[in-house]
Amino acid sequence: MYELAVVSRFGGRLFWRDRMVLASSVAVTLGVGTGLPLLIDKVGAPPADVLAQHIGMVPILLGIASMGHIATVLTARRDQLILKRMRATGLSDRAILGGEIVNTSVQAVLLLAASSLVLYALTGLSFPRNPLMYLLALAGGASVLAVLGTAFTAFVRRAELAGPMTMPFYFLAGMGAGGFGPLDKVLPEWLLTALDLLPTGAVVDLVRTAYAADGTLTGDLRAAAVPALTLAVWAAVGLFAIMKWFRWEARRS
Amino acid sequence: MTAIQVNGLRKSYGDFLAVKDVSFDVSPGEIFALLGRNGAGKTTTMEVLAGFQAPDEGTVRVLGLDPARDRAKVRARIGIMLQEAGFFPDLTVAQTVDAWRDFVAAARPRAEALELAGLVAKAATKVRQLSGGEKRRLDLALAVLSRPDVLFLDEPTTGMDVEGRKNTWEVIRGLARQGTTILLTTHYLEEAQRLASSMAIMDRGVIVASGGMAETLAAQTGRVAFELPSVVTPEELPVPVATLEGRTAICRVADPDLAAQTLLSWAGERGLRLRGLEVRTATLEDLFLDLAASSATGQEEFGHV
Repeated sequence: MYELAVVSRFGGRLFWRDRMVLASSVAVTLGVGTGLPLLIDKVGAPPADVLAQHIGMVPILLGIASMGHIATVLTARRDQLILKRMRATGLSDRAILGGEIVNTSVQAVLLLAASSLVLYALTGLSFPRNPLMYLLALAGGASVLAVLGTAFTAFVRRAELAGPMTMPFYFLAGMGAGGFGPLDKVLPEWLLTALDLLPTGAVVDLVRTAYAADGTLTGDLRAAAVPALTLAVWAAVGLFAIMKWFRWEARRS
Repeated sequence: MTAIQVNGLRKSYGDFLAVKDVSFDVSPGEIFALLGRNGAGKTTTMEVLAGFQAPDEGTVRVLGLDPARDRAKVRARIGIMLQEAGFFPDLTVAQTVDAWRDFVAAARPRAEALELAGLVAKAATKVRQLSGGEKRRLDLALAVLSRPDVLFLDEPTTGMDVEGRKNTWEVIRGLARQGTTILLTTHYLEEAQRLASSMAIMDRGVIVASGGMAETLAAQTGRVAFELPSVVTPEELPVPVATLEGRTAICRVADPDLAAQTLLSWAGERGLRLRGLEVRTATLEDLFLDLAASSATGQEEFGHV
């Protein structure tokens, strides 16, 4: 646990001093997360539309800040043989990957929380009725996507391909959640059902429950059961894939 | 107890047999050189010993532990200077050492590690601005941070200037004097000969020569070289000439001092001078070249399963 915390803290320091990360992950997440909802608010749309757009952006932002970010970082460290050097220390493999997964998840939650706060301050959007559930949904989603992003590096040949290769995932996730407008009106039912099965579908369900105007704690917990199970299944799939296929070094030519 | 024990190690990549039936022991506090040409299997052997890869066959023990199965316990007691491994380029030397101090138990103070590696003056320099030799020094600083019982050094002085190389030799000798067992691979045969007390030479995945450095070299032939006088043919000399490089005759003999005396007496009797006379006992380079020459004549079956 101590090792994991050490690697996570180190990852956090690297995150905030890396100009590329500040441009690709921080600026994009904050810009995209606040841009469209602010625009919709400015054109006089009702608060319900601003909320729908905000919720629809959550999977896209998690995809960028969590899955895309960790896939890029770990592929680059693998290609530059930094992961190999870290393994040469007394750190366990679990601490090296787990520390970066925790760090990425924390940064992603911070970025999404920051973009939410901007919207609460500048639009008519209200705080979630259940803020703890909202934060837990973000944390759960960010963690599971970070695990999946770590597993995904097995299929990425070079660091510069990691971003483009993860893009289809959060494009699909955003499409299913309404991040690109009310596509649920035109997409076939089977596709919407399939998109709901993605981990981001579960996050969106949890976020909708947290923002719902009415509800009780018992009702919220009942509503969270299936999405939480969905996230747990995806986490298990990701962890299995990491154990089975994760590569610590670039392929030998 | 031996610090490192390798018995019948075999390791393949696909159908390429990188290491075949390699066995050797290294005693505590000993400097052991693992030598060979590129692709001989040295780095693969070292990576198995460091627990990066599991052996296909054979047993490997470091401090009595299996590096693949007991990786955490082994890693806590070893230091590794990899032939190739990256750094975080935007961190300074001091920041890199500080980060790595958090990764190992009971780490040396930063100042001590930098002093040992000769990097005090570069503490505030970003890693991306270091030369190749300076990066190797940083590599060394990180490898010795945990005060390891066993230190693996894969090409430790590659890219260093003469002074840096000599300083590194002193550091390695000092660590060995303090009881650290060191397994060293290097392309610089002079370096191996100066540092190591035992060695093994690998070729195409197998050990072709091994033993104590002094004993192994003493068993090799020495070398007497001189410029052949223009009026003399090699057949006339009292000592057989092994090779003729231009006008330089090279004799390979068991006792080079005696051969030199014989040649000088013979020349003196004839009023001849042996210009450029050079007499020396066998070096590791001689042994290495002899082995390379003999291996080039055959053994095509090596390298594939």
